[in-house]
Amino acid sequence: MKVLVAVKRVVDYNVKIRVKADGTGVDTGNVKFTMNPFDETAVEEAVRLKEAGKATEIVVVSMGPQQAQDTIRTALAMGADRGILVGSDTELQPLAVAKLLKAIVAKEQPALIIVGKQAIDDDSNQTGQMLAALLGWPQGTFASKLAIDGERAEVTREIDGGLETIALALPAVVTVDLRLNEPRYASLPNIMKAKKKPIDALTPSDLGVDVTPRLITLKVEEPSRRKAGVKVANVAELVSKLKNEAKVI
Amino acid sequence: MTDIRPHDDGRLADLLPLCSEALRDLRPLLSRVRQGVSALTLRDGAIDPGALETHQFAAHGFAWLATYAEALTQLLHWAERLGEAHRLGELEQLILQAAFGEYLNQIFGGIPMSQMEFVRLGDFGLDDADAATFETPAIARLRRWGNSDTVRRKIAQSVAEGPDFGNPGLEDETLDMIREQFRRFTEEQVVPHAQGWHLKDELIPMTVIDAMSELGVFGLTIPEEYGGLGMGKTAMCVVTEELSRGSLAVGSLGTRSEIAAELIRLGGTEAQKQDYLPKLASGEILPTAVFTEPNTGSDLGSLKTRAVRQDGAFRVTGAKTWITHAARSDLMTLLVRTLPESRDWRGLSMLLAGKPRGTDDVPFPADGMTGSEIRVLGYRGMKEYELGFDGFRVPEANLLGGVEGQGFKQLMATFESARIQTAARAVGVAQSALETGLRYAGERIQFGKPLSAFPRVYGKIAWMVVETMLARQLSYFAAREKDGERRCDIEAGMAKLLAARVAWANADNALQIHGGNGYAEEYPISRILCDARVLNIFEGAAEIQAQVIARGLLGGRN
Repeated sequence: MKVLVAVKRVVDYNVKIRVKADGTGVDTGNVKFTMNPFDETAVEEAVRLKEAGKATEIVVVSMGPQQAQDTIRTALAMGADRGILVGSDTELQPLAVAKLLKAIVAKEQPALIIVGKQAIDDDSNQTGQMLAALLGWPQGTFASKLAIDGERAEVTREIDGGLETIALALPAVVTVDLRLNEPRYASLPNIMKAKKKPIDALTPSDLGVDVTPRLITLKVEEPSRRKAGVKVANVAELVSKLKNEAKVI
Repeated sequence: MTDIRPHDDGRLADLLPLCSEALRDLRPLLSRVRQGVSALTLRDGAIDPGALETHQFAAHGFAWLATYAEALTQLLHWAERLGEAHRLGELEQLILQAAFGEYLNQIFGGIPMSQMEFVRLGDFGLDDADAATFETPAIARLRRWGNSDTVRRKIAQSVAEGPDFGNPGLEDETLDMIREQFRRFTEEQVVPHAQGWHLKDELIPMTVIDAMSELGVFGLTIPEEYGGLGMGKTAMCVVTEELSRGSLAVGSLGTRSEIAAELIRLGGTEAQKQDYLPKLASGEILPTAVFTEPNTGSDLGSLKTRAVRQDGAFRVTGAKTWITHAARSDLMTLLVRTLPESRDWRGLSMLLAGKPRGTDDVPFPADGMTGSEIRVLGYRGMKEYELGFDGFRVPEANLLGGVEGQGFKQLMATFESARIQTAARAVGVAQSALETGLRYAGERIQFGKPLSAFPRVYGKIAWMVVETMLARQLSYFAAREKDGERRCDIEAGMAKLLAARVAWANADNALQIHGGNGYAEEYPISRILCDARVLNIFEGAAEIQAQVIARGLLGGRN
């Protein structure tokens, strides 16, 4: 079984994000980037499937600037077999990414696609679902457990109020949550091996996909700062403020 | 014409050319000092040991001065490389500027070889008028404005906002990935436990050592044909730095394997290499270095533990001390005197002495060998021991290299690597002190604002950032020299000398930022302080290190 994993290069979660002065986006100059943590979980799951003898090959795909190659290399050092970089300097929105992935699926014919449930930069939480829809494949989203049994995947999903376990017929798309596993550290031998693993470079036009953004970002702004609270002298004053100022009672 | 004064933001215009000019201008001063010290210590062009001892202060001062010059040179190269890659940010420029400003001032005003020993140009025989002739406009400009309060405030602000402490400038995708993986490993597997191990004075758990084996730490520099990764000293620096950032002992586990592997790789027979190197690389064998004796520390040539041949084996008798990780290790690289008539280093041999791994209940199960723990302030996690040997048996085949009398030379051949690795450990500890101090300064509110808002606090943080980068770049330089197979005993010594002082200064000042809380065992900075203290002592005490550098420089190297 071939597994396809998509990984995104995002601003590291430790970085304090700064909004650009003109409100057009987030300042990414001289900022540390890493692999989206949800995608790390996806890679780890694929590697575990391979170690368990369920997967035979892991292909990892990333899209974006040339530096996304570093992100692919990290996935290769974790245990993926080869990489595909779809280079693009324009913004790639979830629908464009899903279409590009669909084109890659047509070439690679994987039986399972694992992606992070969302990326920590734009929190879209759309790509996996859109991809499943475009392919007409079943999807199991927010997986906290994944078991492969022959032609079926059993996915335990984290939903409001509990867990739901569903069975999918392969090929299928699974989007993963952080609780699925704990990603490994890439060991020095595997980092060295990863240097020799191939990464194919493609462009959106190679794949015949129009990636023109469909959404326009109007404005990006920082969350408003919390205002300082006030001390109330007694219950009567509290009730009065809740009634007249906060208007919650 | 360039305005010689800084901009309002504290930055000097045309900084890189300015620093380059200042370095060039520093050269005549270095030559002059070298001449002065040579006149005091050389006779007929060779070092006169008696004179070198008499003028030790000046000679060591020269070593420090040369170390400063090399550190500034390497920092400038770092900035130039970053500049070429379009990665020289504001923080990196500020670091460069402050470093030049401060070190040039220290060169002209007094370099602290320790907290209480300042070497001044007068000690090299220059009077004030002489000294003034070396202060060119570039040097004067950097001295006057390089390390200003504004610059320090901006550096401290920048590191508080993140994401980093200046680009380490390795410009290598693989090394960056290694750093990231080991940073994560340390953050998750070491940092949360390091304080507990220290306070309970426990050995680092085997689970951590096993994880490090799996990550490939112990085989890092061992050649691939012997089961290692053949990765070079720069990679070793990165890994060591990140591990030591969590715990000095964890960063030091690799040192033992590094020294043992270097000994065997450089001095061993082919059979010894095939036998030991793969097991060292995999972590199956944990080695320990057994060199020091109760009356023999830096003066190794006088060591007394002897080994005599008897029935196809060496029988070892004598006392050893300061043996790190002695109980839990499997292999001793044991330096002994096999030629009983000798009185100096020529009679020493190195034995590869296997031993059963000890347990808590029976730390030293081997026949003919006893040991007792030395309780220490810091650097815990492997434990220190005194060892006694009484007829301890080592098979003849385990004589390193198969030839007697080579032990001292074999050991000397490993010093460059050991010092580079130790410099990297010091950089890691320095970084951990810096980060710990920074965090506290941001969280602790006094007089209505965080401590980091006060000039005496942000100034300390800024200088820690600057000097840690100086030490780091000097260490990487020594590592690159070693990787390039160039002799680098002086460079490695300089890196170790400076990095150890920086680690101690950072720890002491980060603790100061903590106030009374820093003195409480509960706060990690108290451990970092205890750990940092050993760096100036082991792997060549600061004084010995300065001596080695001075001898190298005066004796015609460089």
